[in-house]
Amino acid sequence: MKIPGAKDSIDEATFEQILEMDDDEDEREFSKSIVYDFFTQAESTFEKMDSNLEKKDLKTLSELGHFLKGSSATLGLSKVKDSCEKIQNYGQKKDEKGEKDITEDEGLKKLETTIKQAKQEFHDVEKVLRKFYNDEQ
Amino acid sequence: MDAPFSVDSDRSRVHHPQSSAGDGPNTIPSHDSNNLVLDVFRYTPIPTFVLDASLHVTHVSDSYCSVSGVPNRKQLLGAHVDKLYAKVTVPSNAVVHQGIRAAQDTAAPSILEESLNDRIWTLRTVPVFRDGTIQCFLMEVQDTTVAHQRQLELEERLYANETFKILVDTVRDYAIFMLDPQGNVATWNAGAQAFKGYSKSDIIGKHFSSFYSQEDRDNDKPGRELRDALRDGRCEDEGANVVITPLYKDDVHLGFSKVTRDLSERKKAESKLIAAYEESSKLKSEFLANMSHEIRTPMHGMLSALTLLLDTQLNPEQLELARVIEESGDVLLHVINDILDYSKLASGSFSISRDIISAPEVILSVFRAHQRVSKSGVSFETLIDPRLPIAAEGDSFRFRQIVENLISNASKFTEQGSIRIHATLQHEDENTYTVLTEVIDTGIGVPLIASGSLFTPFTQFDNSATKRYKGTGLGLSICKSLAELMGGDIGFHPNPEGKGSIFWFTAKLAKLKRAEYLNQLEIVQRKLDNLSCPPSPTPAFDKLRLLADGRRVLLAEDNAINRKVMLKMLAGLGFNHVDIATDGNEAVSMATKTTPPYDVILMDINMPVLDGVQATKAIRGAGLDVPIVAMTANALKGQAESYIAKGMTGYIAKPVDRKLLVDLLLSCLERED
Repeated sequence: MKIPGAKDSIDEATFEQILEMDDDEDEREFSKSIVYDFFTQAESTFEKMDSNLEKKDLKTLSELGHFLKGSSATLGLSKVKDSCEKIQNYGQKKDEKGEKDITEDEGLKKLETTIKQAKQEFHDVEKVLRKFYNDEQ
Repeated sequence: MDAPFSVDSDRSRVHHPQSSAGDGPNTIPSHDSNNLVLDVFRYTPIPTFVLDASLHVTHVSDSYCSVSGVPNRKQLLGAHVDKLYAKVTVPSNAVVHQGIRAAQDTAAPSILEESLNDRIWTLRTVPVFRDGTIQCFLMEVQDTTVAHQRQLELEERLYANETFKILVDTVRDYAIFMLDPQGNVATWNAGAQAFKGYSKSDIIGKHFSSFYSQEDRDNDKPGRELRDALRDGRCEDEGANVVITPLYKDDVHLGFSKVTRDLSERKKAESKLIAAYEESSKLKSEFLANMSHEIRTPMHGMLSALTLLLDTQLNPEQLELARVIEESGDVLLHVINDILDYSKLASGSFSISRDIISAPEVILSVFRAHQRVSKSGVSFETLIDPRLPIAAEGDSFRFRQIVENLISNASKFTEQGSIRIHATLQHEDENTYTVLTEVIDTGIGVPLIASGSLFTPFTQFDNSATKRYKGTGLGLSICKSLAELMGGDIGFHPNPEGKGSIFWFTAKLAKLKRAEYLNQLEIVQRKLDNLSCPPSPTPAFDKLRLLADGRRVLLAEDNAINRKVMLKMLAGLGFNHVDIATDGNEAVSMATKTTPPYDVILMDINMPVLDGVQATKAIRGAGLDVPIVAMTANALKGQAESYIAKGMTGYIAKPVDRKLLVDLLLSCLERED
């Protein structure tokens, strides 16, 4: 099962596994509900990220990054997952790979750009998925 | 040329024109005085002559006559100084003039040296004034060769001493002490001062045993060292880097030298080296981890596609080919993991697991895989000892790895003939079976020269540029370590039939307790049946579905989406009783309060309130030994072991792969039974 336009942004094997759980390949009720749940979860997480970015609460930002990383990994949304991992690391005042220490200011700066990037990646993959589920707005 | 003095030729009597008058009543009578003066000049043992103000010779001592080689002093008396050099050997005209000039200029005695006829001569010119007018010059000429020599030697010795002192003092890496014969510190160098951190007054005169520990002093180590040094001429304490040497001068014992190497520089260099080594070793591990990750990701993609392919309707031939791909893919994954294993084996941090193993099953399965892809001219045979245990305790995966390695080596190097696998029960005692597995090929064999290094890492006996046989050169060395970890050994000898080699290894497998044994027997029997009949598409999957019925599962996961996916996946595997905990605290209270207890717990690692590791600790603390499977996106192999060390039963990476989950749950539930 190929998802048009999903190259790079979706890990096929993982998403396949979700699709396999659908009882009916035409309805795709289960996977669709999961994916749409994710849309909601992502939107609300991004909102929380924005407000915590304003409050400069790095610890919470890291936790939010980890939280969204978990669900995006489960769905195989690789790009969003990678960015969330970076958010998790920056929030712990580490570099993107979580190896070296960075300052709080550096962390905040990087968080700002990475959250923006994660949102963009999310919106891109959202479009692809909505198209896949024949739900173009 | 009138001399101011009239000279009496025979008795050297000098009549001074002014000396007789005006000397006053207190002076010695002038006659005696004159005689005495004349005697002084004539008989002084210091070779002397006197020049008047016009530089004519007025007095000459006998001693001068003898050093200057003039037999008769009359030849010299009255002569002008410039006529003198023609008659005498010393001093030279130039030096005489130089002396006179210096004496005139400074109005003080001048001393000059010259070297004539291999001797050193010293000319002392003493100007004699009266009322500010020069009266005469007293010229003393002495052979100072010996004194001069002595002076030179002294200077040389002083210089040598000075240099030596500087040398000893500036050596900073060595603490040098001079001890008196009793062992008291007589002196020490700056290095010792810096090294020991004492000031001079702290230590000079103290006994050197104060450098030793109380324990050493109690054992009289310092005294023993001095005695040893006296007896052997030297005493070395390698641990402390100390050398004690007795010192003698003209056979008199002066004391001891005690030289200690300052190890701080060397230690610094050593620790730098160690840091560099650790850094490179860390880089190597990271590189290996990254590489294996890069390779594993597409491999997993390929294998999961294959899993899907196997689920479709395939004809028997396609099915068999697909299964060959699957097995080879698994093996390839194992190879990647082996590279990681190797670094662990090398560092000694590797351990083997204690699962249930069926040696015949493992051997047959590897055999089957190779038989399918064997070269056309090679026949495969097995001979399995019926006494081999069908179930025992051991590391199935590692046992398989050795068999796999030996068989694949055999087929790599065998173009024609046969590959035979013999497995026999070599020994059996109360607790263990010792299984001997031999792989006998008719391949190219092992050249004698390579036989010693066969089991050395990264070596292959064919290292030529046009290497015909591929491989990392790690296989046999890993096998050797694995066999040893299993309490066995590994080796090879040439095939007595004339061509090829026999590689063998032994492994000790522990006997199972009775109940376990019967249970395993049934499972293994089924597996063996599967091996002989055409295999069902996914035996593990079917098996789990059977086992899952009625099982209770606790899923601890904070992310709703992951929960939903896991629930669906578990339902698909036949688990209908799955409870949910959304944080670690909830997981602990549910796990400890639910009766009967859960059959398995799936535990996310990063959860709010209480994380998975802490929750596991609490559950274990409550005395529950339910299998707990860690789930996390941190996918390094070492981490899995750290979770297991923290009380977890198994580990699965996120995103959760269904096939891996099946295997893991199967092993958890089987263990529980």
